[in-house]
Amino acid sequence: MLGSDVLQFSATALLQHRRRTLLSLTGVVIGVTAVIFLTGLAEGARRYVFDQFSSLGSNIIIVIPGKTETSGAMPGVGSAPNDLTLNDTLALQRELTGVRTVIPVAAGNDTISFGERRRQVVVLGTTHEFLKARDLTLAHGSFLPKAAMDRGSQVIVIGDTVSRELFLGQDPVGQVLRMGGRRMRVIGVMAKEGERMGQDIDDMVFAPVSTVMQLFNRSTLFRIMVEQHAYTDQEYTKARIISVLRERHGDEEDVTLITQDAVLDSLGGILRALSLGLAGIGAISIAVAGIGIMNVMLVSVSERRAEVGLLKAMGATRRQILAIFLAEAAMLSTAGGVIGLGFGWLLLQILRIIYPVLPAATPLWAVVSVIALAVCTGPLFGVIPAWRASRLDPVLALQRK
Amino acid sequence: MIRLENIWKTYEMGDQKLHALREINEEIRTGEHIALIGPSGSGKSTLLNIIGCLDQPSQGSYSFDDTEIAHRTPQELADIRLHELGFIFQAFHLVPRLTALENVTLPMLFAGIPKAERLERAKSVLASIGLEPWFDHRPAELSGGQKQRVAIARATVMNPRVLLADEPTGNLDSDSGAQVLELLNERNRQGITLITVTHDPNVARQAHRVLVLRDGSIVRHIEGTHLQSLSELFTGFDSMDSPSD
Repeated sequence: MLGSDVLQFSATALLQHRRRTLLSLTGVVIGVTAVIFLTGLAEGARRYVFDQFSSLGSNIIIVIPGKTETSGAMPGVGSAPNDLTLNDTLALQRELTGVRTVIPVAAGNDTISFGERRRQVVVLGTTHEFLKARDLTLAHGSFLPKAAMDRGSQVIVIGDTVSRELFLGQDPVGQVLRMGGRRMRVIGVMAKEGERMGQDIDDMVFAPVSTVMQLFNRSTLFRIMVEQHAYTDQEYTKARIISVLRERHGDEEDVTLITQDAVLDSLGGILRALSLGLAGIGAISIAVAGIGIMNVMLVSVSERRAEVGLLKAMGATRRQILAIFLAEAAMLSTAGGVIGLGFGWLLLQILRIIYPVLPAATPLWAVVSVIALAVCTGPLFGVIPAWRASRLDPVLALQRK
Repeated sequence: MIRLENIWKTYEMGDQKLHALREINEEIRTGEHIALIGPSGSGKSTLLNIIGCLDQPSQGSYSFDDTEIAHRTPQELADIRLHELGFIFQAFHLVPRLTALENVTLPMLFAGIPKAERLERAKSVLASIGLEPWFDHRPAELSGGQKQRVAIARATVMNPRVLLADEPTGNLDSDSGAQVLELLNERNRQGITLITVTHDPNVARQAHRVLVLRDGSIVRHIEGTHLQSLSELFTGFDSMDSPSD
């Protein structure tokens, strides 16, 4: 018996009882739709979070003072035995190879004022490289000037919110505002960026690192950012950073390195678990649908006893009878899988229209595994009914009732 | 070609043993037309099922073409049914969702014959018995006689050597019955061995030999001129028939 003949013959049986066939499909359709939709949702959440953290840039290594056991967590500032200094930055610049730039970052909170208006802002002290390394955009004016790190000029670049709140539509560039008793000339305004890694870029101001350190009377940095070339091995760079700083800090490993990969790894792990959990729930519903298929197949076998007896009398082997009923079950669950795939996709499209920020899309692994599961569910749960059919005694099956 | 030696078929029901067939010894030659008659419960159908490889004897030897059947695997028995035997039932047993043509192609499906050839052969067999206009009709749209003729087409499409008919005219009016009978006789004249279980003296009378069964044993062989006096025997059976038949 040819494979295509088995499928064709089984299809005629399914088409004979359309309503029953549709009802038994429904279970699989719901299960597959659930898996496609829910994993799509979880994947959307994952991508959303990844987009947020990807702004860190894959070639950036952030050096934070203090040693923590887990990467990805922010250590408390000032708890380190040795703080990071500008000299550490210079040493890294000197010693590291395969590195595009090393950027110091100092940070503090202060009030800035322009005329009568005041605003509490986060002040970041850094160098001109920061803009490119963090992939930020300037709306107009210019970013911090190229200068030696230890030369602080009295210039400031302000975020979008700061610009709007303090200058009320005036062009801030060229204006002078006050910060911590100093007069700072505004040389640039950042484009609207929104939040990056939980920080509101729009409510920040940027000034040369040494200016900020003087302003807050600090000798230590908030962090150091190392941007390496794409071709450089990140592990090598990390090892070098540690070794340079260890040498400078009295043979003590007292810094933590954060990379985008490490942050995304830990967050990705959580979200992947969420995806798997949701997929698992959907998979259970497919298994339940399998029981529905088994039920329908058992009914079908007992209704078609005479047919099975006839097929056997005509010379059909047990294996052929088994194949016919397994094919029916497989067609049921496969059709359910395909329809569920369509429904799930449709629901995701609707979701994307309602929540465009969430890049919901079912990951390929979920599509492949749910379809594989749906295809296998039929034969798996159809085995018992098909086995029964193949074992029917033709004499009894053909007997008149 | 068919040799039955000391065939017993016994059903055990609790402590009781029920002998459906007892000590059957019979030889059926190629091209013969045999009728099995007897009252209900006499073992006719059981014997037919054993000859048709649908059932196995409890004891004894059954050989088909000098090959012992009793100890064949289910797969081998299916193969014999597919290629050597054709079944015709009182209840027709056509698959209701399939057309006449599709019903006739069924055995060829299990033989793995390609679709084009299946259709061609089924059409030619159906056309040869005048069913061309009903190719695409489902059983529900056919008369009893047409259904049985489709069933005969299906039973003969694989060119079997033996046709086994269990009450082939039992559900038909006398005209349709006569047509079906003629069709079967024609197949027999073409050389196919025909074994018929029947309650109809007209059917039995056309056989070469009639085997009379009673309580699982062959009690009489009737052939030649004696066939004309069969009617009396059937009158006897009818009064013995159980009400469940």
